[in-house]
Amino acid sequence: MLALEGVRVIDLAGGVAGGYCPRLLAGLGADVLKVERPRTGDVLRRTPPFAGAPSRETAAIHLHLNAGKRSITLDAATPTGASLLARLLARAGVLITGVKAPAPAGDPASLAARWPELIHVSVTPLGATGPRAAWRAPELIAFALSGYLSLNGDPDREPVKLYGSQAELQGGLHAALAVAVAIIARERGAPAQHADVSCAEAAGSLLSGALARHALMRRPQVRNGPRPAGFGPERLYPSTVRPCADGHVHVHCHNRFPDLLSVLMDAPRLAAPGVMDAPLGHADEIDALIDGWLATRTRGEAVAEAQELRIPMTEVLDPREVVADAAGHHAARGAFVRIAHPVAGDVLQPGAPLRPAASPWRVARAPLLGEHNAPVFSGDLGIAPRALARLAAAGVI
Amino acid sequence: MRPLDGVRALDLTVAVAGPVAAHLLSDLGADVIRIDPPFARPAAHLDIAPVAGDAPPGAAERPYDRIVSYNDLHRGKRGITLDLSQPGGRDAALRLAAACDVVLENMSPRVLPSLGLGYEVLRAANPAVIVVSMPAFGLSGPWRDRVSFGPGIDAMSGLASLTGYPDRGPMNAANYFCDYNAGALAALATVTALRQRDRTGAGQHVELSMLEGEMQLIGDALIDAAMNSHVPQRAGSAHPSMSPHGVYPCAGEDRWIAIACEDDAQWRALCAAIAAPALTTDARYADVVSRVRNREEVDAVVAAWTRDRDASAAAEQLQAAGVGAAPVLDVASLFEDPQLRHRAWIQWVRHEDIGPAPHTSAAFTLSATAFRIARRAPRFGEHNDDVLRGLLGYDDAQMDALRAARVIAETPPPANG
Repeated sequence: MLALEGVRVIDLAGGVAGGYCPRLLAGLGADVLKVERPRTGDVLRRTPPFAGAPSRETAAIHLHLNAGKRSITLDAATPTGASLLARLLARAGVLITGVKAPAPAGDPASLAARWPELIHVSVTPLGATGPRAAWRAPELIAFALSGYLSLNGDPDREPVKLYGSQAELQGGLHAALAVAVAIIARERGAPAQHADVSCAEAAGSLLSGALARHALMRRPQVRNGPRPAGFGPERLYPSTVRPCADGHVHVHCHNRFPDLLSVLMDAPRLAAPGVMDAPLGHADEIDALIDGWLATRTRGEAVAEAQELRIPMTEVLDPREVVADAAGHHAARGAFVRIAHPVAGDVLQPGAPLRPAASPWRVARAPLLGEHNAPVFSGDLGIAPRALARLAAAGVI
Repeated sequence: MRPLDGVRALDLTVAVAGPVAAHLLSDLGADVIRIDPPFARPAAHLDIAPVAGDAPPGAAERPYDRIVSYNDLHRGKRGITLDLSQPGGRDAALRLAAACDVVLENMSPRVLPSLGLGYEVLRAANPAVIVVSMPAFGLSGPWRDRVSFGPGIDAMSGLASLTGYPDRGPMNAANYFCDYNAGALAALATVTALRQRDRTGAGQHVELSMLEGEMQLIGDALIDAAMNSHVPQRAGSAHPSMSPHGVYPCAGEDRWIAIACEDDAQWRALCAAIAAPALTTDARYADVVSRVRNREEVDAVVAAWTRDRDASAAAEQLQAAGVGAAPVLDVASLFEDPQLRHRAWIQWVRHEDIGPAPHTSAAFTLSATAFRIARRAPRFGEHNDDVLRGLLGYDDAQMDALRAARVIAETPPPANG
């Protein structure tokens, strides 16, 4: 059996956070039924870029985050739609909601009263309770309120977000953890419960001890550009991106053998006691020494020489280079999967984020909008095909 | 109750990703036993807090027990020291693995097997054990034996190349982004493997490549590259289909507001809020396509309004008008933030040597079970007796022998202290 086999998930959330959570659950074996608005569907379906020609089936982020789910359409604002949703919830083990959860999935208390066996996970930007729960908080706003945004960027410029929707993705990841925790607790005797996930708090976990350093050491952490500002930063340099002959590499000092860099680069100054004891204070000098060594080397040459000495240096790769996989690493591991899709064609996309040996990651394509209306509404709920056609014509499904 | 009450995990991890996974399990109720080498704690992490005013005698002589990052990464765990390269250390680790439900490790793939503690050995000692391995690049493939920490993986996943200011080079995420992502993924993998074992009785080996875990987070860009051979330019905080969307200066030193205007209605509301209704009829800003095209002008208009305003007050005003906005909270302001306070997101845990320490709590609250940081991180070798005698039944003679051979220790060697 798969890790989450037998778990039926109703996914009402959509979007990035609400998409990634059930995507992880589906990979681990849960049966995820994605409930989308008739005709328009999940917002991810409209989000560029597209794999090939734009359509509601070809958005890259939809193909990625909705992989492995089934899709039905349903307008829960109509009485019939609400009643169909209620029948689906009665058969489900887990409900995932986002910012605007339609009735009858509206509020946790009435959900718990009506379906006491149902685990409910709400994934919202700032959490379901508190003075700012109702704030409009798309990715950038949640990121700003996590504290983590303030640490990214140059000290003399504005803070800068990370690529994509990283706060929402962390929210989705932590929501999946919350679901798993609620499932195991339920199966071990706890009541079904409501997990209230905040994307800002998930992004805030990335602060990694900055709160404690601030409170205990009176050392407020501020953003520090390409130089690190994490644990004991004055003792941990370099850990930075530097240019070389054909791009950039990430250069890291080794935790245990910081003087290895001086050997690699034949630069005794790097191992001088004054430098080694307070490397961040010598960052400009260290960068200049590193840059001189890197200037005559390609990424591949520099990394090969460094790794031979067990120095953690790596190439900065852009997505095209990651996909091209010159080293053959991803091919050897099957890190990308090629999934046939009826509209997008054969799509190469990231495969398993984790590999439980006894629960092989379930690889399946993203569903077409409403692809599973017939098997779910007719097969599971017993609605006659003609009645289903009427519901479709009325825009209920 | 806590959801993982009754689960015991052995924490053989290093650096950041593994310790994060293990502390999440501990926060969820697992009894986590952390193994450190009986040598010095990692020298690069010398963020040593001053001694608390009411600290017990001797705290000043134990800087290795006041490492702030150690206390954060290993909160809630019990801690023992064990030299795994000695037979007595390996033997104790194997017995501990037999007494645990879960073993977590994230060393380079050749390390544990070379110590005689590979998965097959652990499984022989404990047939139902769940072993979670979190190597940087996976347990196979040409990069298997490469060394890297989290920030170096940001480089290889593609994230660094996509992140940063448009006029600057690739940028790493701050702190240990990749590690925390892998840590939460590993906790998810562990809990679901426990669920599977509850139903089948069987353990398993879970492999998690930190690189593959991070590639999930730029899946759209990887598909774009694979299918269209296209790579977007670094765009800072700009958004392809929202404008204004960015971080703008406010009154005071290093004060900023984030604004994300999601649609035309929010743009009109923003114009009203900043008392510039004429902008709504300006053709240059008429719809989102125009505003994205004229992004720099839009940003200048917005910045002219934010520049002399208090970030929080301006954000409140915009939110009241229905516009997505927030002050960019710095670390200090998190402690006072009303939303985070309401949700009790910062958990303070007493540490006798350094004073109360704040930790980030879970990103979720659970209605029926708790996520709670039970205690501070262990002192050096603090639970050697507790674990080796109490759990494994070692007697005086065995403990003396381990100490004599320095397989275990309660203080680091003097030279490294």
